[in-house]
Amino acid sequence: MIELKNISKIYDIGDVKVAALNNVSFTCEKGEFISIMGHSGSGKSTMMNILGCLDRPTSGSYIIDSVDVAGMTDDELAAMRNRKLGFVFQSYNLLPKLTAIANVELPLIYSGNNHRRQRALAALEAVGIGKRASHKPSEMSGGEQQRVAIARALINDPLVILADEPTGNLDTQMSHNIMSLLVEQSKKGITIIVVTHEEDIAAYTQRTIYLRDGIIIEDKKR
Amino acid sequence: MSLWESLKSAWQAIFSNKTRSFLTMLGIVIGVCAVVLLVSLGQGFQASMTTTFNNMGASALYISTSTDKAVTSVRPLTLDDAEALQDKTVAPSISVVSPTLSSRVTVQYGNNSANVQATGVKPVITEIRNYQVDQGRFITDQDVTARSNIIVLGYQTATVLCGTDNPVGKSVRGQGSKYQVVGTLQKMGGFGGDSYILMPLTTMQSKLTGGGNNVQQIAVKAVSSDLVDSVISEVTSVLRNRHYIRTGAADDFTITDMRETLASMQATLAGFSLFMGAVGAISLIVGGIGIMNIMLVSVTERTREIGIRKAIGAKRRDILLQFLIEAAALSLTGGLVGLGLAMLGAMLMGNISLGNTTVTPVISAGIVFIALGVSIGTGLVSGTYPAFRAARLDPIESLRHE
Repeated sequence: MIELKNISKIYDIGDVKVAALNNVSFTCEKGEFISIMGHSGSGKSTMMNILGCLDRPTSGSYIIDSVDVAGMTDDELAAMRNRKLGFVFQSYNLLPKLTAIANVELPLIYSGNNHRRQRALAALEAVGIGKRASHKPSEMSGGEQQRVAIARALINDPLVILADEPTGNLDTQMSHNIMSLLVEQSKKGITIIVVTHEEDIAAYTQRTIYLRDGIIIEDKKR
Repeated sequence: MSLWESLKSAWQAIFSNKTRSFLTMLGIVIGVCAVVLLVSLGQGFQASMTTTFNNMGASALYISTSTDKAVTSVRPLTLDDAEALQDKTVAPSISVVSPTLSSRVTVQYGNNSANVQATGVKPVITEIRNYQVDQGRFITDQDVTARSNIIVLGYQTATVLCGTDNPVGKSVRGQGSKYQVVGTLQKMGGFGGDSYILMPLTTMQSKLTGGGNNVQQIAVKAVSSDLVDSVISEVTSVLRNRHYIRTGAADDFTITDMRETLASMQATLAGFSLFMGAVGAISLIVGGIGIMNIMLVSVTERTREIGIRKAIGAKRRDILLQFLIEAAALSLTGGLVGLGLAMLGAMLMGNISLGNTTVTPVISAGIVFIALGVSIGTGLVSGTYPAFRAARLDPIESLRHE
């Protein structure tokens, strides 16, 4: 369902060329729960940006749902992110001035959907936070904010959810809750890819890809 | 993203930063307010001027004694001069000759008094000026022949002296004589105002200006409007002859063509309007720069928001529109506030007194649409660059922005 073929991302830093990703290939199936691990500088952020259609690879092809996104324009990539992908960030990245429900509605606004309010409320209820719909992020705990972010990621029924250190700002109990929520989603058939540097977190996933210096050094099924 | 959604989010952005939004709008508020007020005043002025000229008879020529200091020997205009101009053999182009004589006088009725312009006229003046009788009658030829002590009151004078009473038949005192009011006139408006009295020219000569046969001004009208030039030459030749002016010497009288005066006043007014427009345009430009500045600040502050919006699927166009609409909404709100202030100002000014006349500011639908259009336009123009900057931001960089 997701296929990366010979993906390279090369940055020009002055005269030096640095390969953040060097000829990386892997595939994953629908509903797979994958973690990507590696030290800083290993290329996991670059990997995440490319997987998230936020960045284009220097070479190689990236196929989501049998569409190659490598050559897409910015607006086509935006539509791709809107319809097929959902993002969960370490720092939640909710819009501070909007209520929880308005934050969850945002992707629907950009895809021009109707019945936004009901759908957003349903999504909030699905992650167990329906009662907090009219609260602003500043009035919620980190765990609650991350649930709102997951509801936002789920709202457009994505194929893939990309979570970048989703528990990085949370305590152990909250981390557990959030990871259980993600496990639940993957069981419903959504592919989930988590970037983390904690083995505890990776332990929730079915498969871990280890990156070092832009190369996959290990691809381990649990 | 629909327009409605964009408007809603623009309004949220404006509202969540009230002080800053208000200060940013201030330039537009002041600009629009100034432009609307000045234009409406100009229009009120123009309306007043048009009324004045219509009342005065814009097609008339006015002959008066020259005030040029270079003219050493001046013979005053007399009633005989006026009669000479009525001679069809020497002045065939002239149809109406209306001599007048004016002076200020204090008139009294009961305990009320008014200092007004008294003008001695012949009945023919109604062919030059637009006097409409309200109550009673106008001055007749018999009144002029008989030097009757009768007067006709202007609208405002009638109100000041007699209040709600009907003044016709009442006796009014002025300069030691008694005059019977035979009529009142309808409201005329314009710069002439309605504070005046009229009496027979002969009565004026004997009672108020101390005898003699002099008149102050002679208004003449051409048989048809294309004969105005012949009228001027006929008047010139008749009066030069009667005043014994040698060839080469200057006229001791001047002829004023009201159309020229009207044209020059209109030109002045047009220049004035252009100047005001320029002042307004400058304040709008300054206001627009203010908006551009604050929108740039806003784009920088909201880089992360832009990154988030892009990550969840906002296209360039969505971001561009969001910021453009925000700038336009900011400016339009300023425009609306400015317009409201201008309307309030116009209402408070109500009737501006200029001497004995009033100018009422006129806020027409046209000005309202132009003001609002210009404020939206200013917002769009000044929002374009910041909006492009926002739309071009890289989502990855923006998400990293603190």
